[in-house]
Amino acid sequence: MAQPVLLPKLGQTVEEAAIVKWHKSVGDAVKQGDILFEIETDKAVLEAESFFDGFLLKIFVGEGETVPVSSVVAYIGEKGEKVPDAPPAPKVPVKVEPAPVKAAAVAEDKKAIAPVIKAAPVVSVSSPAQSAPVVAVAERVFISPRAKALTKAKCIDFKVIAGTGPNGRIVVKDVEAYLESSGYNQLRVSPAAKRLAAKHKVNLLTVRGTGVSERVMVHDVERSIAALPKKMSKMRQIIASRLTSSFRDIPHFYVTVSVDMTDLLIYRQELKEAGKAYKVTDFILESTILSLEEFPAMNSSTDGVNVSWNESVNLGLAIGLDSGLVVAAIRNSQELTLSELSAQVASVGAKARSGKLMPDEMTGSTFTVTNMGMLNVEDFGAIINPGEGGILAVASTIPTATVVDGKIAVRQIMKVTLSADHRIVDGTTGAAFINAIKNKLEDVELWKHLTS
Amino acid sequence: METFDVVVIGSGPGGYPAAIRAAQLGASVAVIEKDQAGGTCLNCGCIPTKTLIASGDLFHRIAKSEELGISVGSAEYDYKAFADRKDKVVGTLRKGVEGLLKANGVTLLRGVGSFVSRNVIAVDGADGKQEIGASKTIIATGSDSVMPGFIPKSKLIVESRAFLELTKLPKSLLILGGGVIGCEFACLAAQLGVKVSIVEMLDDVLPMLDKDVRRQVRKYMEKELDIDIITGAPLEKITTTAKAVKGKVDGKAVQAEMMLVSIGRRPVTDGLAIENAGVTLNEHGFIPADADCSTSAATVYAVGDVIAGSTQLAHAATAQGCTAAENAVAGKAKKAAILIPGCIFTAPEVGVVGMSEAEAKEAGRDVAVGKFAFASLGKAMAMGETVGFVKWIADADTDQILGAAAVGPHATELIAEATLAVNAELTVSEIGKTVHSHPTLSEAWMEAAHVLHGSCVHAMPSRRKLKIKD
Repeated sequence: MAQPVLLPKLGQTVEEAAIVKWHKSVGDAVKQGDILFEIETDKAVLEAESFFDGFLLKIFVGEGETVPVSSVVAYIGEKGEKVPDAPPAPKVPVKVEPAPVKAAAVAEDKKAIAPVIKAAPVVSVSSPAQSAPVVAVAERVFISPRAKALTKAKCIDFKVIAGTGPNGRIVVKDVEAYLESSGYNQLRVSPAAKRLAAKHKVNLLTVRGTGVSERVMVHDVERSIAALPKKMSKMRQIIASRLTSSFRDIPHFYVTVSVDMTDLLIYRQELKEAGKAYKVTDFILESTILSLEEFPAMNSSTDGVNVSWNESVNLGLAIGLDSGLVVAAIRNSQELTLSELSAQVASVGAKARSGKLMPDEMTGSTFTVTNMGMLNVEDFGAIINPGEGGILAVASTIPTATVVDGKIAVRQIMKVTLSADHRIVDGTTGAAFINAIKNKLEDVELWKHLTS
Repeated sequence: METFDVVVIGSGPGGYPAAIRAAQLGASVAVIEKDQAGGTCLNCGCIPTKTLIASGDLFHRIAKSEELGISVGSAEYDYKAFADRKDKVVGTLRKGVEGLLKANGVTLLRGVGSFVSRNVIAVDGADGKQEIGASKTIIATGSDSVMPGFIPKSKLIVESRAFLELTKLPKSLLILGGGVIGCEFACLAAQLGVKVSIVEMLDDVLPMLDKDVRRQVRKYMEKELDIDIITGAPLEKITTTAKAVKGKVDGKAVQAEMMLVSIGRRPVTDGLAIENAGVTLNEHGFIPADADCSTSAATVYAVGDVIAGSTQLAHAATAQGCTAAENAVAGKAKKAAILIPGCIFTAPEVGVVGMSEAEAKEAGRDVAVGKFAFASLGKAMAMGETVGFVKWIADADTDQILGAAAVGPHATELIAEATLAVNAELTVSEIGKTVHSHPTLSEAWMEAAHVLHGSCVHAMPSRRKLKIKD
């Protein structure tokens, strides 16, 4: 029997979503685990996998259409099976239940199983605004069919050729003259390179040849193809739009301090030997959480008119993946002990890297920490995650000649930089906040207390 | 202390062309050679084996010539005469190399070269030790057979070099390692009536070849040359008696009068004191070198078998040697050629170039393959040599020839056309449109091109309707 495919539930906060791309067409064979389609919410882009083997019989929701979650979007079954012409009404509202993380998002209708979601997601938060692309209207160029065929065979762009026919129409004579004057006739091109250029509509005159006697080779054309504009992944597009809006709308200012990590690193080693392993990140995050509680202004957001102080510290964790950047949110982090925090950080990190973070786990953060400590950088400034009051950029810990009690000593110095939203906080608050973090990291007694 | 613009260490197929090219460009050049000019290739590799194989192959064909209407009674051979002819050929070529070096004004220094510092090299020869200065150095010290410690020392256990010095063949031969060297020697010995067994630890012999190519060679070796090929198991418990080498494979006993060990080659850097030049060898003892043959030390270049990732082929070393010399003299950073054809002188012969079918698929290409069997080719039938085929491996999208393989008569010669085609980035249709003379073996390339496009006149029709591509 044909199986309905549902738009997956995407967690507690997402009520509708758009299908941005179908990976299968009607009639295609589908195997369990195949990616059926990509969904875009205002928070993320996700891939939906099939639960069934069979053939895609019907698609109800086309690319670009937005429907409520749990709507029937397609049917999968055996070839020739009858399926309804219209989708059944979606069974909403959906009961609130924990979002399925790994597999089975079982809908109430037992037969209708929503595809497994493979989250490959993005930065959290608000404005979904994406401006419509401006389509350039090309000026019409008149060209004779024979002349056009010739330009196609030669892999050149006819729009740059001056036509001498009626109405400036380009005729074969013009193309031949252009081939001579432009140096095309002196061009040496390998046969395979020419085929490749024709296939990708690369103008051979723009390709720099690196073969013997500057012959244009396949890798030269490949270089030109790589330089052609191409669509970024949906994920990168979302990152682009969110970061642009943040950097455009939020007046950033930056404050950097050097943190002496020497004593904490020694203590961390002692803890490790005692069987309590913590990552350096854990201490940085805990210091940030404690400081955010002291400076609620830093744990806030504004639309330019109103300011909202958040009642809990939902710490955002920036995680770099091959496909892009993700911010995982640790909710109510002020209630976690250091060891609980450490465990949660490890768990969301692992989830993010295996693409299993749910949209819920990527939304609602109130302040983000981004750590490039392992990437050998001296310091850097980060862009605020939209909807938050600031972001803390953590650089590498580097042995540095430092003045201690009037003498030069080598200390483990880590620079941290706060990017703050100047609409909400001023320099004094920013400076006090970042020094609060620094003081905590340098206070080994505090860590002895928190780890005892 | 005498100082040279370029000092080349080693005079094999990487070293002597490097020296001559540097001299052609006006540099003062010295070559250091610890053994014989010409290196492994000329003295104990390519040339002597191919000389013996030429004799062995002709004997094999004579012995089987009855189907061509020739009866020779019982053909016989004199292996001592084979060996003498081989020495003569090697001697002539060696004199040729020495003559070329001399004619180009290259100083040939006999002895072991070692770095004193980056620009000073000591030569330890029969007439004592001397030091020379070198503005640039090209290391071309090559490789040597690996003889692992678990194999007992015995005159019945040889590697390729010692095998080539034999003047009498054993009645039976056990070969450890089914790579190129092992298979070539196996075919040579088997064609001369030696009972040969090959033990290869991997799942098949000649694993670098596509499965269909490999199968042709293995089938012929097993069926026609009666070679026992045991794969997928190591040779264990090797012992020697006065007249036999014994071992066990998978619990079964194997035995032969002699054993040839051909399980790989190791880079030769003994005595080179390369650390004095500031070059660090990699974990396997090879010299890491860039595409332009430069090493981590600014004035030191390396070419051929001694560099990491080498194909261990003489012609690759020669191409690198010439490029290294040009870069060393002109201060440029040209890259050495990377398209290196491979030839295997087994029975039947194999020639390959570019990507194999498996490699092309692995690279995610949409692969189209066109194969044409010699059994369908007039000239091959006329010659009575119908084993094997040629095949094109092409990109289905752009028709670009990505690689080619030939297995069968004169495959090592036939691969030259394919090499040119891959190097020039030709499309399959251009090969198809190039008229090949009839009746020749080369026609197979044209036919295979037509097969790839489904337009072959001399193959059974395919169900798809023909679409002529331009």
